Amino acid sequence: MHREVARAFKEYYQTLDVGELDVKGLQEREIALIPLGHETMIRHIAFPDTVALKEYLMENVPAHLYYSSAYYREPQAPDMNKKGWKGADLIFDVDADHIPTLCKVDHDTWTCLDCAAKGAGFPPESCPKCGMKRIETTTWVCDKCLEVAKEEVFKLIDEYLIPDFGVSLKEVEVCFSGHRGYHLHVQTEDVKTLTTDGRREIADYVRGVGLDPKHQGFRVMKDGSIIGPDLRDGGWRGRFAKSVYTYLSRCTLEDLKAVVGSDEVANTIMRNRERLLRGIMANPPSWMGLRGVELGRTIRIAKAAIRDLLCNIDERVTIDIKRLIRYPNTLHGKSGLKAAKVSYSDLESFDPLKDAVVFKSGSIKVYVKEAPRVRIGDYEVGPMRDVQLEVPEGLGIYLLCKGAAELRE
Amino acid sequence: MLTIDDLAKYPFLRRASSFVESYGLTFQDLASEEYSYVVQRAVERVRCGIEGRWAELNVVDPETEILAYPLALAFVYGLKSAWVVRRFANSEQKRCFELLKNEEKEKIAEVGKDGFDWDLEGTELTVSGVMFDFSLPVEKYLEVAPSFHSPDWKLVNRHVTGGRVYLKQVEVARLLSEALKLKILKKAEEEDIKKFQMPEKLLLKLEGLEKLIKETKIYDEDAMVEVVEEAKPPCIVALLKDLAAGKSLSHMARFTVTTFLINTGESVEDVLKHFSNVADFDEGKARYQVEHIAGLIGSKTKYMPPKCDVLRSFGLCVGGDAYCKKVRHPLQYYKMRAREIKRKKGWEKGA
Ligand code: SF4
Ligand SMILES: [Zn+2]
Ligand SMILES: [Zn+2]
Repeated sequence: MHREVARAFKEYYQTLDVGELDVKGLQEREIALIPLGHETMIRHIAFPDTVALKEYLMENVPAHLYYSSAYYREPQAPDMNKKGWKGADLIFDVDADHIPTLCKVDHDTWTCLDCAAKGAGFPPESCPKCGMKRIETTTWVCDKCLEVAKEEVFKLIDEYLIPDFGVSLKEVEVCFSGHRGYHLHVQTEDVKTLTTDGRREIADYVRGVGLDPKHQGFRVMKDGSIIGPDLRDGGWRGRFAKSVYTYLSRCTLEDLKAVVGSDEVANTIMRNRERLLRGIMANPPSWMGLRGVELGRTIRIAKAAIRDLLCNIDERVTIDIKRLIRYPNTLHGKSGLKAAKVSYSDLESFDPLKDAVVFKSGSIKVYVKEAPRVRIGDYEVGPMRDVQLEVPEGLGIYLLCKGAAELRE
Repeated sequence: MLTIDDLAKYPFLRRASSFVESYGLTFQDLASEEYSYVVQRAVERVRCGIEGRWAELNVVDPETEILAYPLALAFVYGLKSAWVVRRFANSEQKRCFELLKNEEKEKIAEVGKDGFDWDLEGTELTVSGVMFDFSLPVEKYLEVAPSFHSPDWKLVNRHVTGGRVYLKQVEVARLLSEALKLKILKKAEEEDIKKFQMPEKLLLKLEGLEKLIKETKIYDEDAMVEVVEEAKPPCIVALLKDLAAGKSLSHMARFTVTTFLINTGESVEDVLKHFSNVADFDEGKARYQVEHIAGLIGSKTKYMPPKCDVLRSFGLCVGGDAYCKKVRHPLQYYKMRAREIKRKKGWEKGA
């Protein structure tokens, strides 16, 4: 562990305002950490209050600090079965790493551990050269990735949690993950006792897994006419109607041909477009414009239309009822950034690479082995390789934590 | 308002338990001549469960009916057979469903509230031409719905808005009756129920049932058949490979493998072995789920793996081989190939 990182992290926890560590039901949660300079996780600790926690952290400075999404009767019990599970928050994990954005080519690389083949961008499922699946990645984030992740968070809240699930804004806590994405914690009594299977249903709901438009208002009548949902409906019905409307008003003939799989049908729809859109808009709606288009094709249009509305979350996190998750407002050891709580109203303007930077004094001299273009705060460098630099503290710590740099006097 | 007749129809309600409690009866009392009619009715209910029928819906004497229910449950748990518990739970579910589906809306809401703390709200909402009768908070819906495996019970295929799921009456009846079943099954797992010993004197009243259990059970457990490994379809092979590699599977995937294996004659133990590599393997829970599926073989609700169509929509079909083109169901694939393989083997032996 670099001396500078150790110093900075220690200072962070020493000067931290205890209030920053406030979380719901601290006494009932398991706390876990990976201490700075260590590999193994210390688990099964519990604290009566934030003051005790802070004291502990000052002595045992963590590279990563976690708390359980679950509430237990005995959070410190080492045997999971003896902890006495009482309930758990509902968590959504949005990670830019799992979203194949175009910018990945600019900052990510992968290496095949079997044949040493290399490439840039989103890693392939298996090595294109030797077909093996042991692939090592070096990933970075940029503004574009983080922006996409933020969009996912807004989508989740605005499209699903509030209108469909009736969650109110004050019941959702958004945290920057400290590295590549966001965590959403829903902490109501209602969700607490949901089972894994119940949570999976919620994850599937927002990811559109198993979604069948035939259950959401699309039907074919005996005379061959198609009935579709109403823009004013809630839930998936309304979402379908709205997105089909938007899709059809924007798509090109080529798009549509590919989706419906028939030039003729695509041509007809395009010719009738205005009438069709007016119909979908009407109250009650009329989908007569799709008359003669088979239900199967209509459904393909519907599915294409909602593609961008599906949430890109890591469902394994959501379904886990005993997850250890990063403790809000603590530091991420792989970035030195703060996993800051962000209120919904600040989210739009939240700039993780600036607002989650906590180290802002002086500068650090580092030797950088290899890194793409990196921005921290208002300072930007790279792409670079084998260079010696003097950079602001925040950027220095970031490069050191990412393992891309070494300290130089 | 729940009347005494309602309590007799739905004796699992809280209100019914307080009614029973008000009698302050002990097992001692129940064993006496005075209450023999209650005991008789309780035994009858257990018998119905074992035989896979439901106790008749027409209640003549509500008081007896209400008093008999907790005693019937005590018998069921006292017999110390998971199989009996399952049979009983199933028949109670069916009975409850039959009663509820024709009930008045307000009654259903009351049963939901008193029995399961479900806040069912009557509605006349029509969306896209579909009329709903009730709405229910999402989290309550999810207490039960995941145990149904057909895609139309998936939350994503439901009308969900403002934190509530919209349902038709018959669907609510199905959900509530399933909640009852799960409650009966879950209770059997509780420590004090596991330890519970039925007083000798009352157990005597069950004479005859033991024999019935043995007979029905034998008939119920399908004869073991030889499993033909090579005949498994690609989707199942892929899932088994994932399991062997320790990956954890989605609910649908687990259901598919389990029903498939059970239906091709693997025992509960064998099925569980496939799951034992998985990191989040919870033996108790897995056993319960597998037994749940397996225990129903031979009864009216036989759990089958989903059709290819369904597997495809869940992304579980890895399809593509020549046999897949000819079938619409993974079991059909299996039967077709198994027959072929057996024929070939027979032929080889014969040659
Ligand atoms: S076609 Fe059917 S049997 Fe074949 S892999 Fe797909 S789901 Fe399985
Ligand atoms: Zn390779
Ligand atoms: Zn990027």
